Amino acid sequence: MTDDHKPVTEADLHAYVDGFLDEERRRDVELWLSGHPEQEAEVRQWQAQAAELQTSFAGYAQASEGDRTLLNARTATTSSPSWWRRAALIAASLTLFVSGAAAGVYGDRLLNPSNPIETAAAIDSLPGQSKTAFLVYASEKRHPVEVGADQEDHLVAWLGKRLDYKLVAPDLKSLGFSLVGGRLLPVNGKAGAMLMYQDTAGQRLTVLLGKNPENAETSFRFESAGSLETFYWIDGSIGYAVTGEVSRAKLQQIAEECYRQFET
Amino acid sequence: MPHAPDQDARVKGVNPPSADTFENQILSLVPSLRRYSRSLAKSDSDGEDLLQDCVEKVLVRRGQWRGVNLRAWAFTIMTNLYRDRHRRFTQHPSVEFNDTLGLMAEDVSGDPLQKTRLQNALNALSPDHRSVLMLVVIEGYGYQDVADMLAIPIGTVMSRLSRARRQMAAHLAENNIVTLRRPK
Repeated sequence: MTDDHKPVTEADLHAYVDGFLDEERRRDVELWLSGHPEQEAEVRQWQAQAAELQTSFAGYAQASEGDRTLLNARTATTSSPSWWRRAALIAASLTLFVSGAAAGVYGDRLLNPSNPIETAAAIDSLPGQSKTAFLVYASEKRHPVEVGADQEDHLVAWLGKRLDYKLVAPDLKSLGFSLVGGRLLPVNGKAGAMLMYQDTAGQRLTVLLGKNPENAETSFRFESAGSLETFYWIDGSIGYAVTGEVSRAKLQQIAEECYRQFET
Repeated sequence: MPHAPDQDARVKGVNPPSADTFENQILSLVPSLRRYSRSLAKSDSDGEDLLQDCVEKVLVRRGQWRGVNLRAWAFTIMTNLYRDRHRRFTQHPSVEFNDTLGLMAEDVSGDPLQKTRLQNALNALSPDHRSVLMLVVIEGYGYQDVADMLAIPIGTVMSRLSRARRQMAAHLAENNIVTLRRPK
């Protein structure tokens, strides 16, 4: 960086992110950033954030058939869809509590039979439910599972039937874990399944499967809580979560192996 | 659903032909107003409500419009409505979920977990910070434009923008979630 250039201010950094700098100034800022890794990391984060926001909302900038009726809205106070929606929202808020964290992102439909609350809750709670299942059952000495690995065929047929899904119990022997067994348990308020694995040292991990109210596909995600790691994803009609007290790297391997074998 | 050409908000300040009625000018702004409303709201239905209230107010107050930059004027009105509503809704929080009319369904693309995460980060912002962030990042307004629209000094715009960006980044990081590419 040469000294005769104007110092780079925070306003410059924002203008850089927002594309308001002329070419010369933009180059100055880039040069300055290359010598200031901390600020550069932040600026890259802002850029990624902006790109994500733009992509997320770009699709809303479209006209709709009903737009013209917006112009007449004030003449139709009581029958306006807005009024109905508000009433419905208030009614829903009176009967059901949904935490702010479980904002519904699926295109759920208030007037449709599928329960929007369940849909909303399903998204955030999967890793939470998986952690709980792990904490409750992995420490269980006598009855960690309902059906043991010695009856694996029965186990997968039974749980698969309850989930309405062609379940397989992934073979994780190559990663040092063998199947202990599984149990039926509620996930997202419906029948779900938990599979448990154990390594030779007795270290356990659980794989939770739950019905996903709507078809979706997500990327993989990690969530940490203390020494517990959970790896979760949604693939089609099933949400999956793998929880264990192992390193992220190890758990990722395990989850990827599960994903591969669940895919069928 | 018709897919009208995107009336991109970034193409701004184009003065409509004089033959155009006020109503038609508003109508042509609806897509970008819809996007802005959705970027402020907690759900699609809240967004549509906000849009509707805004159009209503614009029509009621048409006499007050000074004849320049209708778009910026409408955006200002929406921002103020959003702030007022936020105050009311914080007292009576409602359940958050999406539009019932199917309007937005096909736009809800991509990774739902990612969307929840982003939406939660946005919802954690105060209305003042959120509106500045959206006006700049999504609607493409310059800092001085935003200052004029919201009748605040440009320094305030910059500090709100900084604060919003840092808060978003912190919130997104706090979730302790790492997105990974799926192996296929």
